Amino acid sequence: MSGALLLGWRNIWRNRRRTFISMSAIGVGLLLVIFYSGLVGGLLGEAKSQLDDGGMGHVEVFARGFRGKHDVAAVMRDVAAWRAGLALPARSEVGARVLARGLATSARGNEAVQVFGVDWADEATLSAHLRQLRLGALPGSDDVHGVLVGEQLAERLGLKVGSKVRLMVQRADAEMGADLFRVRGVFHSIAPTIGQRQVYVSSAAAQELLGVPGAAHQLVIQLEDPAQADAVAASLKARLGDDYEVLTWAELLPVLKRMDAMMNGVIFGLATFVYLLVGLGVLNTMLMSVLERTREFGVLMALGTRPSRVMQVVLAESFWIATLSVVLGASLGALLSWQFSKTGFQLGTGGESMQLEGATLSTLVKTRFNPTDVFRAAGFVYAMALIVGLYPASRITRLQPAEALRRS
Amino acid sequence: MAVVEVENVTRVYEEKGQAPSPALRGVSLLVEKGEFMALAGPSGSGKTTLLNLIGGLDAVTSGEVRIDGRALGKLSRPDLADLRRDRIGFVFQAYNLVPVLTAAENAAYVLELKGVPAGERRAKVKAVFERLGLGAFLDTRPMKMSGGQQQRVAVARAIVSEPAVVLADEPTANLDQATGAALMDLMRELNRERGITFIFSTHDPMVLSRADRVVRLVDGLVVAT
Repeated sequence: MSGALLLGWRNIWRNRRRTFISMSAIGVGLLLVIFYSGLVGGLLGEAKSQLDDGGMGHVEVFARGFRGKHDVAAVMRDVAAWRAGLALPARSEVGARVLARGLATSARGNEAVQVFGVDWADEATLSAHLRQLRLGALPGSDDVHGVLVGEQLAERLGLKVGSKVRLMVQRADAEMGADLFRVRGVFHSIAPTIGQRQVYVSSAAAQELLGVPGAAHQLVIQLEDPAQADAVAASLKARLGDDYEVLTWAELLPVLKRMDAMMNGVIFGLATFVYLLVGLGVLNTMLMSVLERTREFGVLMALGTRPSRVMQVVLAESFWIATLSVVLGASLGALLSWQFSKTGFQLGTGGESMQLEGATLSTLVKTRFNPTDVFRAAGFVYAMALIVGLYPASRITRLQPAEALRRS
Repeated sequence: MAVVEVENVTRVYEEKGQAPSPALRGVSLLVEKGEFMALAGPSGSGKTTLLNLIGGLDAVTSGEVRIDGRALGKLSRPDLADLRRDRIGFVFQAYNLVPVLTAAENAAYVLELKGVPAGERRAKVKAVFERLGLGAFLDTRPMKMSGGQQQRVAVARAIVSEPAVVLADEPTANLDQATGAALMDLMRELNRERGITFIFSTHDPMVLSRADRVVRLVDGLVVAT
């Protein structure tokens, strides 16, 4: 260890209580920043993953004219053929859907529903609730009259696995289309509206029901990294042209985008506040520590210590205080963040989900443990500690050695 | 050949809201290599101020101080620090050892500043400690040593880098008579053995009796030499 670092290390233990208090204060601040970053990251990640779980895409493609008017005649033809040629990032999940609004009728009554015509294998990767069937199983690929319904709809219509349900929709030719389906499974979704409104049939059955053979209304793309959404959307727009509408999750759910910006703003504000406190804490400690040893620094200067070396000794003390604080705060913050990334953090007391302007969020938020957050926070603490350490160091080095020696 | 040249030096302290206070008023002095010289005078006569100016710890108001022919007033602060490190040793009244360093580390501090390798530092310090009767205290912290022992460590720190001149500001003031006398004898021996020039301030007759030359100061003026 260099002389300045050794001297700095020993000096910080001259007043153990003061060092522990400073270290604890800075460490707790750091812990808060790391944990809060993880919590907010987790909340946003949860919101974004709920897009997935709710079956939304990070990028969605529609035939122009479908959205807004919900015109079932505005379809994308030959989707299966051209979707294979799309250059999407690796591990992207893609599915085409036929969409319709209609009425589900059972022996008990009627309910307004949204009919999703899907490829079962694709949809199971896109919509988490199709992987969480409470009853039954996914229909087979040749099962054109199988239907999946949510728990809430099943309860209202008195449906069980094997029950018959009649679906009636408006066809693309403006006539009414209807067919009889048999319930193959009942799914659970944390979003009650999904469980109450959505029913899933095979795409072939939906195309037949609507009179749009080989067509789809929506192409859903879920990306491994949602941050790629803008780039992927831009690429698709360039490739598909004006007949298609390509939208990112931020355009589909602007509230989530606003929430993202707001949360990041809150993190920035909190971090700034904490780092300011860190700076003041280190400054206070270093000023007290250094100024009460002015005479000793005078001795060091008398012995031939250059001003730059005196500065190194003082900064070494800042460095060690920052190091100990970072070790304490970052390890506890990382541990806490990691723990809650496993067990989750329950927001509120009622229900397993909450609605936020169209987005369904689980009330069990798992923190996002991101080592980058830890390193960034630690880096700020080091920078702040070294910057504020310059002030007491400069006060000492400005003194003539004789003047420093005169001070008690 | 003069190791230290003090030429018509004045030092006036000026504090805000107070009248200027002259500590030295036109002092001139030559100190030859190998001298064992005392600065005598009552408190406030300017002894410490003169030692500080000779050691480059303070700046003159007017006049000039030269060490080995180099005018201190013309040196930058880093150069002045290097000059102190290489040519001047200090012994302070209150020992002024660094409490977080061991006795050996205190003594080796200047050698470390000079870039002497650790092994060589340790060997040099050990030799000096043996010579000063501190062989058993190499790894002892100052707080666990007596005043006399601490002052001997301070002497070891001052001489281990073999400076041209050692400046000692009332080195025996905090020691009892016997310990103070032993310390002066030790410094005298080092002066004779190694040819190191010693300049010390004191008003202790025992110390003065051991000096080759006594320069008396009164109210910032040399009144006898």
